[in-house]
Amino acid sequence: MQAENKSTAARPLVYTIRGCDSCVKLLKKFEAEGVDFEERRVELSQATLEEARGYGSLVPIVIWPDGRVEQGFGDSIGCFI
Amino acid sequence: MPAITSVVTESRFALGLTFADFVAQATVNQDKFVLNGTTVPLTEEDTSFLRKAAAHPGGPARMLALAEAWCGDVYRELPTAARIAEVTGMELRVFLRDQNLDIMEEFLSNDGKSRAIPVLVFYTKDLEYLTHWTERSASAHAGLAVAMNEAKTKLSLPQTATFGTLRDADRQALLQEVIARVRPFSDQWRRDAIQEIRQLLANALSIPNAG
Repeated sequence: MQAENKSTAARPLVYTIRGCDSCVKLLKKFEAEGVDFEERRVELSQATLEEARGYGSLVPIVIWPDGRVEQGFGDSIGCFI
Repeated sequence: MPAITSVVTESRFALGLTFADFVAQATVNQDKFVLNGTTVPLTEEDTSFLRKAAAHPGGPARMLALAEAWCGDVYRELPTAARIAEVTGMELRVFLRDQNLDIMEEFLSNDGKSRAIPVLVFYTKDLEYLTHWTERSASAHAGLAVAMNEAKTKLSLPQTATFGTLRDADRQALLQEVIARVRPFSDQWRRDAIQEIRQLLANALSIPNAG
């Protein structure tokens, strides 16, 4: 099921876990490139976790403003949620 | 391997959470810990071996687990640790990895580069290190690699391609294929983890791996 809460602004929505190396690397990349993004931390609430699961099985998950969904980052597939 | 002088002392071990307290404090996945706790694939023969190991002179009496509730490998395997503790009488204490990085440093994997969890560390009653098990079974690691190769073949991607070198669209397609291929094997990985833990304990105690 696709989650209802999509990225509404013209900036990517990123689901992360701060203990996940791939997530931290993605955040550092975005910050280094000056990407304006909204972060939702999956580990902080079951509701956010379920929201993320609506998009995929691995974090980081990026929902781009055009609707594209990307999971994982860099050389790692990311962390199963 | 743990440091010669471990940070895991008597007083530190006592600070760990019980499994019930760990689940109670978890902000996510409480349902998965409870559900997986009801389906731990421990056989009677497994239980028999683990009890023999625990009763062996210098056998495991305490288990330390490094964990975080958000981690899929943790909610798959930590309930098994809790069940092992329950059937053997071992004292299980759970430590949150990200609040106990000094303990984690003693049990890094991937040539010291990874803080993979869960880590299950077995100690004697006097807190002497016996052995430890990390993250997921060898079959799970191998299964992921096989799934990755099969998915590349199906998607006509070069076998030499790595996740990091693929175009975004190909990477996402590869992920979907890999996830679909490994998902059915979760229960088998749980059974394999128990067999690995048994073998580690048998090796550490120099006893037969038999129930």
